[in-house]
Formats: sequence, structure tokens, C-alpha cells
Amino acid sequence: MEQIISIKNLNFSYGRNEIIKGLNLSISKGEIIGLIGENGAGKTTLLNILLGLLPSKQNVKVFGGRPGSLLAKQKIGSMLQGDLVLSNVRIEEFLEEVATQYNNSIPLEPILIKLDLVQHRHKFLKELSGGLMRRVTFAQALLSNPELLFLDEPTVGMDAQARHIFWELIEELREQGKTMIITSHYLEEIQQVASRIIFLQKGNFTFQGTLNELQALHKQTTISITAECEQYNFAKLVGVVKVEKSGSQVAIKSIDGDKTLKELLLECPEVSNITVEHETLEKIFLQMTTDKEQR
Amino acid sequence: MTKFIRQLKFDILRIVIRNKSFLFFTLLMPAGFYLLFTKVMDVGNGPELRQFYMTYMGSMIIYSGVIGAVMGVATILKSDRDKGLTLFLQMTPTGSKNYYISIYAITVLLNLCALVILGILARFVNNVEFSLKQVAMILLIILIGQIPMILLGTLMSNFKTQETLSVASNLITFPLAIISGLWWPISTMPSWLQAIGKVLPTYFANNLVEKTMLHSELDLRDIYGIIAWIVIMISITVIVVKAQQKKGLSISEA
Repeated sequence: MEQIISIKNLNFSYGRNEIIKGLNLSISKGEIIGLIGENGAGKTTLLNILLGLLPSKQNVKVFGGRPGSLLAKQKIGSMLQGDLVLSNVRIEEFLEEVATQYNNSIPLEPILIKLDLVQHRHKFLKELSGGLMRRVTFAQALLSNPELLFLDEPTVGMDAQARHIFWELIEELREQGKTMIITSHYLEEIQQVASRIIFLQKGNFTFQGTLNELQALHKQTTISITAECEQYNFAKLVGVVKVEKSGSQVAIKSIDGDKTLKELLLECPEVSNITVEHETLEKIFLQMTTDKEQR
Repeated sequence: MTKFIRQLKFDILRIVIRNKSFLFFTLLMPAGFYLLFTKVMDVGNGPELRQFYMTYMGSMIIYSGVIGAVMGVATILKSDRDKGLTLFLQMTPTGSKNYYISIYAITVLLNLCALVILGILARFVNNVEFSLKQVAMILLIILIGQIPMILLGTLMSNFKTQETLSVASNLITFPLAIISGLWWPISTMPSWLQAIGKVLPTYFANNLVEKTMLHSELDLRDIYGIIAWIVIMISITVIVVKAQQKKGLSISEA
């Protein structure tokens, strides 16, 4: 598989403030990376280094060359956190100006249609809501027909419908084999699309792998039941770490969901309304960040 | 070239055509000053008055250039940088070169418009006569004489806040215009202030325009003065840009 990004032992500091500490990373074509971390973890700094906006040494390669090379600029589309809200400029004029900057830009019309911007095309950028402006910024990132997309908090300010359109388009881009690095605080959205999750905490990668691998590491499962045998001591079951009861409703948290469930059905067969939930990315994230703080 | 033309059209639309206040300050204010001063100030009669009408036209052209460069360029670059436009352009294959040239071209174009407006006023309101050769010469002086001011505007765009820039623009533009004799004759000022005024780039440019209007021989000291200012401002700009690159673009652009 073609390697798009390669980072070996990357360090970066602002003065004495060490932001990135010895990072190693390799990203192949078609991967969708969910880059997750608290505010100030170093996500934006890492993206800025990959975009060539911050200096790096020979240890960072993007499309086989240095970050910010002409080749990289042609192949990267980015949707950074700040939107380009220029005064006295309409959406269409702005996007045409963006397209001018690339030799390989794609026609504007299909993008306007896909992002539901057609009826807004003559509006001034200053008049747009935060969510609508974010869609314009997404259109800006797509105009160069990029092979690699950096999406930094892409759905901030978007309403539910706009977010739905956005993730549908991401799905479409994935099918086209585009590579993407996405940072977002909406972790439930990232877990739907990311082929690999990377946790960045205080400049270090504390996890790199698939969501399943992450869930296996944090394998707490919640089994919710309606139990006739509510007097039963569920805490005795294999792997159980916590039991919460509310009348006949019982929530059992286990580190070995399968075994707990098997034993439960043997010990207390008259349970109903069984639901089994694995840890969500958001819960794991909260758990990991809390653990790190406590350490 | 097509990319540059598109960039220029885009910038003219947003900065000039849809920005009335910018037009007012760069074109109408100097024109208003010209009418006010040539019609209100008592500067004598006959040849003296004719000479004043001519030289004051030149001063107001230079003044328009100062406003366009120091207030216009600095404000536009600062605003675009704050909004992330320059950062975005640096991430594209085309880069930000076309953008900067376009902003500078607009500043010079507006200064040429000021020349036309002031020329029309001088000709039809004050009956000033000038030849095509004089106009061509003034054009050349504007083009070269505005370089240090444009570079000054570029440097000033690095001020951290819009408020600081606004205060600094006013503190530089008006004293620069007054001390170098653009508003009223430099000879009316105290000698120590004259000494300062006579080394300013606007003084050299104003002198060259004045001598062109009066058909006098150009003074080489004025030409050298402008060249020296160009060299100084280019050197400072290069140092600042290199320091920014070392720090990292996104830090200075953010």
C-alpha cells in the first residue's frame, strides 16, 4: 500500500514548551485516521507540521517529500479550524478564487450541489451562520480534488442535517480511496468512519489502532436487563466490576461481557430486554484522559 | 498571468469597488484637501498662486500615496492575515506571491486614480496647465516613490492587533505628511523639524514632483534619498520575513 505520510521520532517545541514528543507515524493511502486528543494535546500543531506551516526536519515525509512541497500542496485539501470569512465576498466568488489557486481544481457546480450550497451561492461570507460557513470551508477543501484531506474539527457549528450531509460525503470520499486525517470532539461520528484511531495526549501517541483493538483494550461491556430475579447477587458473576439497579432494571458492567452473559443466563434465565453495549470511543477517551490525569 | 489577473479582479472587487470608505480615504480626501487649501489659503496672487496650485497638486498626489500605502496596505494585509487568507494561499500551489503583487498593484492604481482626479481638479478648477511629459514623469515618480511606503505598510501589518495598527497608522501618516511638507510648506516649520522632514521619503518624492511641475531640474539628492529608503525598507522587510519563517508561518499568521 502506498505510503502517504511518514513521521519518525518527531519533536516540536514552542520555545521551552514541548508540544510534540518523539512521535512515529505511518499513514497509507485510503486510511481514515481519527486523531483524538484533548485541547492542547498537539493535534493542530501536528497538522500544521504536516502542512509545512511549521518547520520540521528530514524525519517528516508527505507524499515522499518534505511537508509543504509543491507536490504536497497540489495533493492536500485542508479544512482547518478557522473559516476564511472575508469581507465583501460572495460564496461563489470566494470558491472561484480558491479554484484559481490550483491547476487540478474540479468544477464548482457539483460541489455546490453536494453541499447544498446552490441557493446560498450569492450570499456574502459575512452573512453566513457558523454551520453554513463550515460547509463553504469544506467545499474549499474539496475544490482541489485532493488525495489527502486534513479535517480539523470539521462539523463544529453544523446543524444535524449539515452534519449528516458532511459524513455522507466523507463516506463517498472513502469509497473513492481518499486518505483523511480527522480531528473532532464528536467522537461518536469519528468512530463511524475512522479505519484507525490515534490518541494524542500531551504530545505523545498513547494509542494507535482500530476501534475494535481499542475496545479490546478497554473491554468494559454494559449488559442491561429487566430481571425477575432482582434479589440475585449479580456482582458474583464472572468479570463483573459494577452493578446498578433500579427496580427490575439492572445494568451490569463487566470486563468480560461474553462470559458474564453466559453465566447470567444460566443463573437467572428469566431475564428479558437484554442489551449489550461495548464502550464507545467517547467513554474510552474520557477514561483514558482521566487515567492520565490521575497518574 | 491569468491567475494573477483573476487575483487582481478578486481583490479589486472586495477591496475597492465594495469598500467605499477605502475609496473615500485614498481618493476623495486628498481631492477635498486640494480644493480646500487652494481655495481657502491665502498664498498671494498671480504667479505665486499659480505655482501653489501646481505644487500642491503634487503634494496631494504623494499624500494619497501615503494613505494608500500606510493605511491601505497595512490594514488590508493585517485583516487578510487575521482572517487566514495569506495562510490559506501559502498552502496552495500558487502561493501568496500573486496576492501580494495584486495588493501592491491596487495601491499604485489607486494612486494613479488620485493623479487623474487631482489633475482634473487642478486643470478645470484652478486652470493649471501641464504637459503629457510632466504627467509621465509624475507617474514614474509615484511608481518608484511609493515603494518605501508600501514596504512600510507591509511591515506595519505585522502589528499584533488591529487597534495598535490603527493608532500607529495615524501616528505615522499625519506627522509624515505634515513634517515632510505635504500639507503646508516645510519652511514654515522650526528648523529641527525641518531637519527631520528633509530625510523622509515623502519629502524626496514631493520635491521630485514639485520640480517636475515647475519644469525645474531634478535634484539627484532626492533620487538618492528615495533609493536609500528603498534599500533600507527592503532590508528590514527581508529580516522580518526571515525571522517569521524561522518561527514558523502558522505562528506568525495565527
